[in-house]
Amino acid sequence: MASGNMKMIKRRIKSVSSTMQITNAMELVASSKLRRAKQKAKTGRPFFDAQYQMLTELAQQHIGLETVFTQKRDVVKNRLFIVIAGDRGMAGGYNSGMFKLVAAAHKDQPVPKIIAIGKKSVEYFEKRGYEVISKYVGLAENVKNAYCADIAGTAIRMFRRGEVDEVLLFYTQFVSSMVQKAADIPLLPIDTPPLEQNAGSKSRLLNYDPNPEAVFNRIVPNFLMSLVQCAVSESYASEQCARRIAMENASDNAAEMIGRLSLLYNRARQEKITNEINEIVGGANALS
Amino acid sequence: MTPFNLKIITPDKIFFDGEAENIIVHTTVGDKGVLARHEPYIAALPIGKMRVMTDGKYRVAAISSGTVEVKDGGDTVVLAQSCEWSDEIDVFRAEKAKKIAEERLADKGTSQKDFEIAEFKLKRAINRLKAAEK
Repeated sequence: MASGNMKMIKRRIKSVSSTMQITNAMELVASSKLRRAKQKAKTGRPFFDAQYQMLTELAQQHIGLETVFTQKRDVVKNRLFIVIAGDRGMAGGYNSGMFKLVAAAHKDQPVPKIIAIGKKSVEYFEKRGYEVISKYVGLAENVKNAYCADIAGTAIRMFRRGEVDEVLLFYTQFVSSMVQKAADIPLLPIDTPPLEQNAGSKSRLLNYDPNPEAVFNRIVPNFLMSLVQCAVSESYASEQCARRIAMENASDNAAEMIGRLSLLYNRARQEKITNEINEIVGGANALS
Repeated sequence: MTPFNLKIITPDKIFFDGEAENIIVHTTVGDKGVLARHEPYIAALPIGKMRVMTDGKYRVAAISSGTVEVKDGGDTVVLAQSCEWSDEIDVFRAEKAKKIAEERLADKGTSQKDFEIAEFKLKRAINRLKAAEK
């Protein structure tokens, strides 16, 4: 009995330690990827900021500026969700947190159309019968402008044609290396920031080629593209971070488990030895 | 010539940040030159060439799709999806990209989406080749 138990414990220790090796390796990979992802997320920032500033300025200079991109629709019937999730699992609550947010976002409303970014995102929405407009797998690891432009282009096209009345982007904010938060931001119609009373009063003459509307409409696709790109980069950094933390926890748990199992094993071993001694002593006593 | 501050920003980096004496950008309505103390101005840029004068010499850059803004005081910002100096363009790669894009466009099985991407890539490759010539 005792020896059978010992064998089982030994097998478990072996299996846990091999799992621990994997989680350890994954943690290392995730942290090196995280470093690169953070770097990348930073490089896209100036472009986005400049783009945003220009858009804001334009909107503030021309308060009456009404283009198809800024008009809010009276009745929001169809919505398009662009959902960024991971290509792989094993990242703690990274993917599930995102899907929970998406589910909550359309609780009482019609089912939205989806642009899915990341394998997990594609799988989730296809399995549940959402209308998936387009899907991108493996985009996050190596963000390409062309694909972000394509995503933004699709959103703009659908919005213009009236197929959707609102476009939302779901991504995971990189708050800190301990906290990542699933969040959503409206893409279309473009939310022009409220006029700052003091800063805006200094009206400044601006020349446009060919005219404000055309320039505005020209900036919008680029702006949305860089927004998508920033969101993808940031989500990717969050994913790696979430994975690193999850794997770190898993490794810690495995180490703890091995400790506990070793204790059990040693106890069983001692018990076995004691039993044997008892048997021998008992046998010797019986003989004499 | 009086220099002014010029910044060229692309999604992956700050491509240029320094002083320039003159830039000539290709806007949607034609070429436009910017000198120091230019009035505030914004224009959209399609795929095209841009010339930047520093130290009395022009450098040509190929840019794709963006905007140019001259701020109060003449500081100028160019935002572009991509930007490359003509002498740094890999002609071989551009030729290859052009060829691939052309094949894609000729292929009847190409989806609408891929077609658009290929078209954009072709335009960009041609622009880069043109910029590299000079």
